[in-house]
Order: sequence, then C-alpha cells, then structure tokens
Amino acid sequence: MLKQIEGSRAVAECVAMCRPNVISAYPITPQTHIVEDLAMIVGQGKLDAEFINVESEFAAASVVLGASAAGARAYSATSSQGLLLMCEVIYCIAGMRLPIVLTCANRAISAPLSIWNDQQDSMAMRDAGWIQLHAEDNQEASDLHIQAFKIAEQTSLPVMVCMDGFILTHAYEPVDIPEPKQVDDFLPPFLPKNIVDPRSPKGIGLFADPRFYLETRYILHRAMEKSEETIKEVSADFAKTFGRNSGGFIKTYKLEDADLVIVSMGSVVGTIKELIDRMEEEGKKVGLVQICSYRPFPRHEIYNVLKDKMNIVVLEKSISLGRGGILASDVRWSFPRAEKKDRNISSFIAGLGGRNIPMDDLRYMVEKVEKEPVELEFLGLKNELISEKDL
Amino acid sequence: MEKLPLGLVIDLNQVVPYKTGSWRTLMPVNIMQVPPCTHACPAGNDIRGFLRVLAEKEDYEEAWHVLARTNPLPATCGRVCPHPCEAGCNRRDFDSSVAINCSERRVGDYGLEHNLEHKKLVSGRKEKIAVVGSGPAGLSCAFHLAKRGFKVKIFEAYGEPGGWMRYGIPPYRLPNYILKQEIDNILRLGIDLECNVKVGVNIPLDQLTREYNAVFLGVGAQKGLGIDVPGKDADNVYTGVDFLKQVNSGKWMEIGKDVVVIGGGNTAMDCARVSKRLGANVSVVYRRTRMEMPAITAEIDEAMEERIMFRYHTNPVKLVTDEGRVVGIFSIQMELKEPDASGRARPVPITGSEAFIPADTVIMATGQAVDYDGIDVQTVDNQWMYTNEHLMTSMEGVFAGGDAVAGLETVALAIGQGTQAASAIEDYIEGNVESNLAQPPVVYSRDLNTYYYNKQKQFNKEAVSIHTRLKNFREIYPSFDLKDIIEESKRCFSCGLCFHCGNCYMYCPDSAVKISPSTGGYEFDLDFCKGCGLCAKECPCHYIQLTLEK
Amino acid sequence: MEQSAEELNKIEKKDLFTSGHRACGGCGQALAARLVADASGENTIACVATGCLEVFSSPYPDPSWRIPFLHSLFENAAAVASGVEAAYKALNKGPVNIIAQGGDGSTADIGFQCMSGMFERGHNVLYVCYDNEAYMNTGVQRSSFTPLGARTSTTPMGNKTRKKNMPLLAADHGIPYVATATVDDFRDLQRKVKTALSIEGPKYIHILAPCPLGWGHHGELSVQICRLAKDTGIFPIYEIVDGKVTNVLKIPVKVPVEEYLKLQGRFKHLFKKGQPTPEVAEIQEIANQNIARFNL
Repeated sequence: MLKQIEGSRAVAECVAMCRPNVISAYPITPQTHIVEDLAMIVGQGKLDAEFINVESEFAAASVVLGASAAGARAYSATSSQGLLLMCEVIYCIAGMRLPIVLTCANRAISAPLSIWNDQQDSMAMRDAGWIQLHAEDNQEASDLHIQAFKIAEQTSLPVMVCMDGFILTHAYEPVDIPEPKQVDDFLPPFLPKNIVDPRSPKGIGLFADPRFYLETRYILHRAMEKSEETIKEVSADFAKTFGRNSGGFIKTYKLEDADLVIVSMGSVVGTIKELIDRMEEEGKKVGLVQICSYRPFPRHEIYNVLKDKMNIVVLEKSISLGRGGILASDVRWSFPRAEKKDRNISSFIAGLGGRNIPMDDLRYMVEKVEKEPVELEFLGLKNELISEKDL
Repeated sequence: MEKLPLGLVIDLNQVVPYKTGSWRTLMPVNIMQVPPCTHACPAGNDIRGFLRVLAEKEDYEEAWHVLARTNPLPATCGRVCPHPCEAGCNRRDFDSSVAINCSERRVGDYGLEHNLEHKKLVSGRKEKIAVVGSGPAGLSCAFHLAKRGFKVKIFEAYGEPGGWMRYGIPPYRLPNYILKQEIDNILRLGIDLECNVKVGVNIPLDQLTREYNAVFLGVGAQKGLGIDVPGKDADNVYTGVDFLKQVNSGKWMEIGKDVVVIGGGNTAMDCARVSKRLGANVSVVYRRTRMEMPAITAEIDEAMEERIMFRYHTNPVKLVTDEGRVVGIFSIQMELKEPDASGRARPVPITGSEAFIPADTVIMATGQAVDYDGIDVQTVDNQWMYTNEHLMTSMEGVFAGGDAVAGLETVALAIGQGTQAASAIEDYIEGNVESNLAQPPVVYSRDLNTYYYNKQKQFNKEAVSIHTRLKNFREIYPSFDLKDIIEESKRCFSCGLCFHCGNCYMYCPDSAVKISPSTGGYEFDLDFCKGCGLCAKECPCHYIQLTLEK
Repeated sequence: MEQSAEELNKIEKKDLFTSGHRACGGCGQALAARLVADASGENTIACVATGCLEVFSSPYPDPSWRIPFLHSLFENAAAVASGVEAAYKALNKGPVNIIAQGGDGSTADIGFQCMSGMFERGHNVLYVCYDNEAYMNTGVQRSSFTPLGARTSTTPMGNKTRKKNMPLLAADHGIPYVATATVDDFRDLQRKVKTALSIEGPKYIHILAPCPLGWGHHGELSVQICRLAKDTGIFPIYEIVDGKVTNVLKIPVKVPVEEYLKLQGRFKHLFKKGQPTPEVAEIQEIANQNIARFNL
C-alpha cells in the first residue's frame, strides 16, 4: 500500500513486519525515529517483541548479540557516534556469525560535533565482516530491511542497512509498504544454527589461539565474498514477490553509451540521475553505476560494466583521512593492474557533515573530469574558510 | 584434524578435556599414617579405626572386632588402662583429648553383652605352645597364637586365670565377671587352661620345653617386696601383693581401725582404697611428693576423693610392735634433694622430725619382683627377665613378656608384648627371619588443619557418689550410654586417615579429585592435577601430602 | 522457585565447569566458577566476560564448561545476559538460570555501565563477580577493586586508593538480592547462588577469589587466605535482601590484618625488616570500619 510517510516510519513498519523478537537501542548519539516508532508498535501490541531500552549503543549491540545467540531475531538501529561506540561489538557479532540486522542512518562523526548526514560512520565499520547495503531512497531502504533479515539468516552474517540520515530518515516520500502476509511469505521464521540452550549445551565465543585464528578470518572473508550470490538471489526473489527491483549488488543508469561514468551510493544517486538526464538533453552521455552492496564489494560487477569505460568519477560522502576517497580506492582496485593504465578514475568527496550537494556542483565535477582526471577533490570546498597554516 | 565449526561454536558434550597434568612438579598422594593414640598405645590398638567405625557407621559390633584384632581384653583395658593414648591424642592441643578409654570400655562391654566371638585366622596347625601365666601378657600371647591356628595351653599357678588383673586389681576398678567373660571368650578359641599348676614348682620348665614347640613366660611380678625396718615381720604387716591377693580371693581381712599403706605406686593406691572399703581410716605414707608418685593420676585422685590421707615426705623408720603386733609406725620427715638414679628427687631425712602414726595394719606396697622359683633364666640386674629383641629369653624357644620383662607396667603393655611374642614365636617355629618394616610416620598436631574441627566437650564419665562407692566393692563408674560414646567417637580427628570430609573433592580448582567407583573413596586424577597442593593444605587430617613428581 | 533450607544447604558437585582449564594451580577463580556452575545446575546459561576466567576456560577446541557458555567482550557480559534473557522471554522459552560473570575489572571498571544498566532494567539475571582485586589476565594491573597498599604492575609502590565497595553499589540499585562470599566456605557460596537464583530479578554475588600469581601466594594457600580475609574484617560476608543487610557472618576470633597481609607477596613491601609500615595501620583501620559497619 502506497503511503506518504517518513522514511524512519517506513523502515520501522517494515522491520516490524519482519517480526524481530528482540529490539534494543539507545536514543541520543544520535538516533532516528525508527526505534521510537518500533517502541510504539511494540507498545501497542502490534509486534510481540522485547524492546530493551539500554544505557548505551554499546549495550544495545551487546543485548542484540546476546539475544541472537539465544535464538532471537534481533534488531537495532544507530548512527554516527553510536555506531562507533558499538564498534567492538560490531566486530564481535560478525566473528560469532550472528545474523543481526542493524540500520545505520548515516551521519557524520565527531569532532567537530555534527548531527548531519554523510557516510563516514558506516565506512568506519566497513572491515568488520558485516554486509553493508546502501539505500537510494526510502522505498529501497524499506525493502532492504526485509531482504536484510533473509540475507543475514541465510549467510550467518550480520547485515547493516545504510540509509542517509535526515535526507532519507526524516524525509516524507511515498513508500509502498507491503502487506504483512507478503513479508511472512517472503521471510521464513528464523531457524538459528547455534544457540545457548541448556538442552544442548554449546560454547559460543571461544578463544582461538594462533593455530586457529587465521582460518577463522579466512572463513569469514570467504563467507562475505560468497554472500554475493545470496544478496542477488534475495533481491531477485524480492522482485518476484513484491514486483519491484530493490537491492542487489549494483544498479546502472544510462550506462550503455556513456562516455563518462559516475560511481556513487546512497541518496545522492537521485540527484546524479537528474543531472544525467539533463546532460543527456544537452547531448552529453553520462552514465551511473550505483553501488547497493558496499560490502561485500561488487568488484567483478564493476569491472564487467566499466571495463570499456575510460573516464570514471567516484563521488562519495566519506573519506579516509590521509589517504583519500574510500569508494574511489575500492573502484580503482576493481580493475586489473594492466587495465588501469589509460583509464581515468577521478575521486570527489562531497556532502560531509550534511553539506548540500547542489546540481551545479555535480555539473562542475562532470565538466572538470571531462577535461582532465582528478586525483582527489572536495566538492564545494570554501577555500576562503581555510587558513594555510593549519594544514 | 576437525574442520572449524561455524563461528567456532562447540558442542560442549563432545569436548575432550585438555590434560593439564603435565604442568605438575609436585604430586598429591594419600598416605595413611599412624595416629598418635595408636603410637602411644602399648597394645598398638587401632584406636582411630574403632572410633571411625563408631562415628561413621555407629556399628559397635564392627568396632569391637577392630579393637579385638590387637586386644582381646577391651572391656578390661577400658577400665584399668592409664590410657597414654589420650595423652597422645592430637585433640588435646585443640580442646581436650577424645575419651578413648571410656569408648574402649563401652565397645568391650558391648562385645560381652552381645557374646561377640573372636575369629580364627588360620586353623589346624600342629605345633603346640605352652603359655605360663594367664595375665594379660600370657592371654594376649595365647590369643594371637590360637588365632593363627597353634595349639596353645596355658598353665596358671592360681585357682583362676587373669593373673594380676584377677588377684591384684580390685573389683571396684575391674569387676571379676567382666574379666572372666573376656578370658572365657579368649579360651573359646580352643586354648587349654590348667590352673593351680606352678611351672618350675609343680611342673619343671624343661618338661615344657621338651613337650612344646615353644614356651611363653608371662609370670608377672607378683612377689611383694617390703622395706627392711624393725618390726616388719609382725603378723599385721602385709606386702601389698599379699594383701590384695587375699582380699581379691574373697578372704575377709580383719584390718582394724587404722591402716597405714607405705608406697606411692598403683598397688599402694589399690591397697589403700581396698582398706577404706573394709572400713578403716587409711594413711598413705610416701617419701616424696605427689609429683613423684608412680601411681596413675586418676587413681591418686580417686583415692583422695575417698578421703584417704596422704603423708608426703614421710619415711617409716620402724614399726612399733606390741606383743608381736604392730601398733603404729615411727616415721621421719624427708626433704628432697637432687635426683637419684630413677630420675626422681632423692629424699633425705630431716633430723628431729620423728613422729608416731598409730596403725592396726601396715601394708608395704613398696615394690614387686619376679618369682624365679624353678625358672632359671638370665636376668637383667637380678631383677627382670632378660630377652632379646624378639622377646626370647636366654633359653632357646622360651619367650617372655609382661611385667616379668618390662617391670611394673600396664595391662596394655603386657598385651602388646604378648602380641609381639606371638609373632616372634610364629616366626621362630616357621623359621622366618622377622623383617623390621619401617613404620609409617606419626601425625602430630602441627600437621593437621584443625579449622575443620569444631570445639566440643569431652565425654565425662560419672562416678557413683563417695558415700555409695565406699560401701562395697562395686565398680565406681557405671556403664556408659551407647549414644554418648557414638557422639564422643565423632570427636576423633582421624589423624592420618581420610574420613571423607570432601574438602579435597570440593576445593580442587581442577576437579582432579574424583570419587573412585570401586572404593567410593577419593582419588587423584593425575591427568588434570596441577599439583597446587590445595587439597593437601585443606586436608584436615594430613592424609593427603605432596610429594615430588616421579 | 522456592527451595527448602535443605536444598539450599546441599553441597553441589556436578563438574559443570570441569578439568582441563588453563588456570594456574590453586586458582581461586577457577574454584569459584566451578562452585557457582555446580550450584546453578544444568539449566543454566553462563555469559562470561573476557578475562582470566574466559581465557583459561574457553579455548577452542576444549573449553571447560559443560553448561551453555556465551562470551563476546570484556565489558558487556551483563548486557549480553540481558539480551539472552530478553530472547528467552520473547521466545517464551525457559525458565532458565542466566548468570553473567566476570572479574573485578569487567565488573567494577569497564563493565560497570552495562551491569548497572542490567540492574536498573530489572533483568532476571544473576551477576557474579569474581574479585581477585586486579587485572590478572593481562599481568596484574590495578583495578578499582585493588585494595589499599597492594602492589600491582601499575602501582609498583603500592596502591594509594581504597577498594570500590561494589556490593553496596549494587544494592543501591534497588535489586532484591546481593551477597558476598569466598571460596573457602563452599556451602555458604553455593547456598547464596541457589538463593539468588530462586529470586526473580537482578541479583549480585561478589566472590573473593584469590589469585596466587597476582597476590603472590602459593596456590595451596588460596582457601586459607580467604578465611583470613574474613577473620580480619577485610572482606565482610553478608547478604542484602531487599535493601536490608542480613546474615552477617560474625568473626569468631578477630585476627589482626598483618596475618592476612603477610601471606601475600603484594603486601610484602608493607613490612620493612618484619616491622609494619604505617599503611598497615591504615589497612587495619579499614578492617575496623568494616567490623563496625557490619557488626562483624
């Protein structure tokens, strides 16, 4: 049923339809309406779940860890500092192969304090062994949560659904909210593999000495890579059930004849598509590769769709300080060494800390890389604010 | 190798534990040790053993059998033994020793009340052994030999068996019926007894050595010695031995109003207390002080309770006679100087301190000797019989034990020597070379962890009132309650032997103490024991000790 | 789950935490963990914090636990246990005993927040703190449970602060049951575990667990040292039921703190040529305060 609805509410309703048993969250650093809405849904008795208000994100992550290890379908949501505070548990959950789903409403991280959108928070967790799915809009954000539980439980890997904070979470858009029955049909009940249960005592979270640790990391890495199949299958399955494409590995837009290709992820993709349409009218052939699954990284997909494209620009809302664009680096790595030579892969950082990314800036970016490759540039940088002596 | 499971999750029921035993440098071991009570007991009684049986099983019958393994006269010893075991008891350093003597008496009595019988270990041996004397040494020797299947015959000089226990110890300490029952029980092992035969007088000793494979002399020291003072041959002067023998034979003695007993040993106490029961005012005259008196402390205490007068530092100079009868003694006060050869302070007379003590009867309990009449064996200092380390006298195949060898000693010691002689005789007959096995070490208070024991008052036997007890020769301590003795047995620390407190089992941080499926006792699982020593440290009774890893 | 006095006083030995762990010989914590596991019984889930206990008892592939064991991090045992409890509620499973357990660091320092949260939210979880008064697993560093005067690798001249009073802090959360115990009195310890598990809501048991390595005593003395900790007044034994201090263990014969201190290498520097330094009097004062406060 199509509803004009806030992004957070849409996600909350979809999460509730996935029937999590335990939800735990902490409000302040900073939180979205997702958990408030879920608290209300649980409170009204529309969802039979334990909602645990904890004293920190660290505890929230720990509670869902414990709940998942005890056989519950468990969910949490956070962003920014909260996600960073969870960091230790985030790694742990993946290592323990617990299929937890977490929403990251992407926001900037301190200092300075900023509550606005960018993707530095989830980027900080990219190596933790979590599947990270990025939503373009609230419809996809909602759909991805339904897919996320299925992917997580099939792969025994935790899934982080990333949606841009404020831009999506607080935006009212029309979203097609599925019927509970449809979700029930799509998402089977959780059948946990290993749980703490006195009837069959298991040791979960054991200590691994150097004889075993390396292998556990290899296994986790390979499992992440192999989850590609599941992500694609579940996305295809979702399309069959719900009649729309959501998620998957990557999506492309007007790529076929493009002379220049923008690679990006998250909500900015909407603006980029609009630019591409406008430039098409102007006779310029610009295409888009939209990354949905950031982890596992769709390296082969990217290579396959971009192997003939020689001018590529990566636009991202995060940065590895002292290194540059993170996504750009991932994209550059997607091409075999021999094929990198004459290929221009430019890197633009934009929108940090909620800075608006206007169409003009994007146009500037496209026009600039048409002329020459750009190693790294901060889009919309106000040079007048920068004192050379602090650099 | 096993494949790593998903998330490294393990089924805990399938775990093969990692063996930590190789970490160990010290190893706990169970070492059964000798408790100080047994160590102090001349008869070598398994005191801890019978007390544990009482404490854990409340089984008097089994306790009796434990005691009877070493001692065929528990009811007797339980009455007359000065119980050095209690002096040795480690509990003495904690609150007060276990009332072992009373417990032994109760167990012995139980055996008599229930007609419990000794069991033969072996039967049908052909060899014959003659035992001379049916005192504790002779009975014990005969008992142990009979249990081992030998044919034993006891020759007793008096009309009834028991030796000094029968004719020396008065019935208020040891009733005749108790002794008789215990002796009958011993004889039931198939021992022949011939009374009124004095070996060396009625039958020559060499006849026995010819007819028997071995002879045991348990003749005691029943020749009373008096002191050499004027008037000693008067009619109303007795030696302690003669006096007691006559009274205990049932003869009524006219002793008059005032009786003076000379001496400070057990015989002196017995004479004094018997005289008191015969209605006399009794004085004990002794050259030294109470400190030096060789009598059992309890005997002196009881004598004092019975209002017997003790005159210390007093030495008889002469017995004043009138018409062949003593009418009193002249005594002189003594003072004590540096110790003499016996280690006791040497009494020296104080001039001018003579005094007269009136007496209708004088009893001289001033020493006893062996009656060597017809027994020609080598002696030590013309006093006690000489024996080698196997208790064999100078005559081949003739062994000896008890007071005749050891001097005036206890029933328990005589029993112990009888036991030892029985073994020696068996070895002699079989031609075995007796091996001297190293004795296990003795446990002392410092070895124990007394934290785990609770302070508890000692069982206190109650005597009948002085008034009642002086009226007759009945036992002054009536029988004890079975339950009280069970409670008392629970006070035993069980020094040197596991009493299943479970400390090792509960405290082992490695769960390396297991319950043995075969014995039900605790055992160490050396696959996992790290040798930390916690079990040994918290073992209350020193049964667990650490040794170097082999 | 009302239990009779007889059941509560019964000594349990089931080896639900068993041989093969890598603790040092004479480890008080290993002993305590077994006593707790055995008292709780098979129907128990142990949520264990990182620390000595976890490291020595849960190496792959041969952990020593025979009850379900869950470990993730150093500071979150209480939160993980909260999650397990929430899952059991949500899934309508149980009843089950859930025991969060950790050392003093994971209880009073880094894990304090998670534990406090668990108490405040009222989860039906027993939290057991094995108090060995420092970070032993990492090489004996000071924790907020390290007592005055104790030498650790980060207080080489002796600790200058007093020990945090965790049982009272726990009780002030308004939880229904708090108790202290030591490994020497296993009957008392197991009774307290069973009592705690019979009560609905959050519970806290604080167990003094000597560490031979960190305290500098031979392993065989672990039990005796506990006894002295009690008899000196250093470690009072009591329960707090619904906010009221009760069942205070009276000291039969009060022992000067020297007896306790002298057995341990970590206090060795408090005695110069056999003579106590002024810190000993200060420690005695702490013991005296305990004696007065709890009427020991």
